[in-house]
Amino acid sequence: MSEQVQAGTARLERGYRRVLACYPRSFRAENADEVLAVLLAAAAAGQARVGWAEGWDLVRGGVRMRLWPAASRPRAVRAAVTLMLAGAAAELAALITVVVTSGAVRAAVAAQHPATGNGVLVHQVAVLAGAPLAIGMWLWLAWANGQGEDWARMISAACFCLLTLSGLGALSQHAATYAPASMIAAATVWAIGLSSVVLIFTPAAGRYYRPQLAQQ
Amino acid sequence: MQEATFLILTALADGSQHGYGIITEVAQISAGRVRLRAGTLYTALDRLRADGLVAVDGEEVVEGRLRRYYRLTPEGTAVLAAEAARLQANAAAALARLRLGLAGGLA
Repeated sequence: MSEQVQAGTARLERGYRRVLACYPRSFRAENADEVLAVLLAAAAAGQARVGWAEGWDLVRGGVRMRLWPAASRPRAVRAAVTLMLAGAAAELAALITVVVTSGAVRAAVAAQHPATGNGVLVHQVAVLAGAPLAIGMWLWLAWANGQGEDWARMISAACFCLLTLSGLGALSQHAATYAPASMIAAATVWAIGLSSVVLIFTPAAGRYYRPQLAQQ
Repeated sequence: MQEATFLILTALADGSQHGYGIITEVAQISAGRVRLRAGTLYTALDRLRADGLVAVDGEEVVEGRLRRYYRLTPEGTAVLAAEAARLQANAAAALARLRLGLAGGLA
């Protein structure tokens, strides 16, 4: 091997190692040398730089592994975590909906109940104040459930009950008539909550949260 | 099941392979159409190992580089067989309907 080719390979190897830094530490500890060998074997003759396409493919894999680590996490739990992240996004969308439609809702309520106002407005204020908290809650529960914390499962179930109660409360105040857009958003969030809670209480997920029971 | 995952399992169906071996096997199986990249391969392998479909089948060092071999688990074999049967049934249905359509078109 000529000196020039050797220098090129060393440079390419350093480049690959830099890109591999976007993978989780535990994955790198076990697999970095192996992945590097595959990358170098697949590299074109005389290649000295990491190509755009392969660099992008590596970064995408690393980001995916960090956001949705697969290591010993059952599919049901992975799906639940993804749903909880979607819940945070839906909550953000609900917040935006309330902000955008608040004028129209207030006008609708004022036309019907000029003197007293209505519980729908209370619900709207609750969403405005509570949404940042709820977004934080979704993200925190997504993380904790991903870690297999059994208490996170219980808190998720409790939050879902609260979500159901607050939704029913809003419905009893005729929110569906006055604020249809924010009720659709709330229903979406509720459906996401229901699916994720069902998933974390499946038997497959149960073994992940309580490994000591699964071994008996 | 994504095509890359299906092809990785297929590459391991007749014996264990190391990472680069899987890439070349997948290229061969797909007649050169699918060129797996390392990021895609290892993200898929990570997931397949977590799901218990693929297991590590030993390591060796060749020319100073680490090679790790992978094999299908019995569960992986069963999942691949089920997926292959499903694809075959779909393909057979498509071909049968195409033949009918062709016959109808000519009549």
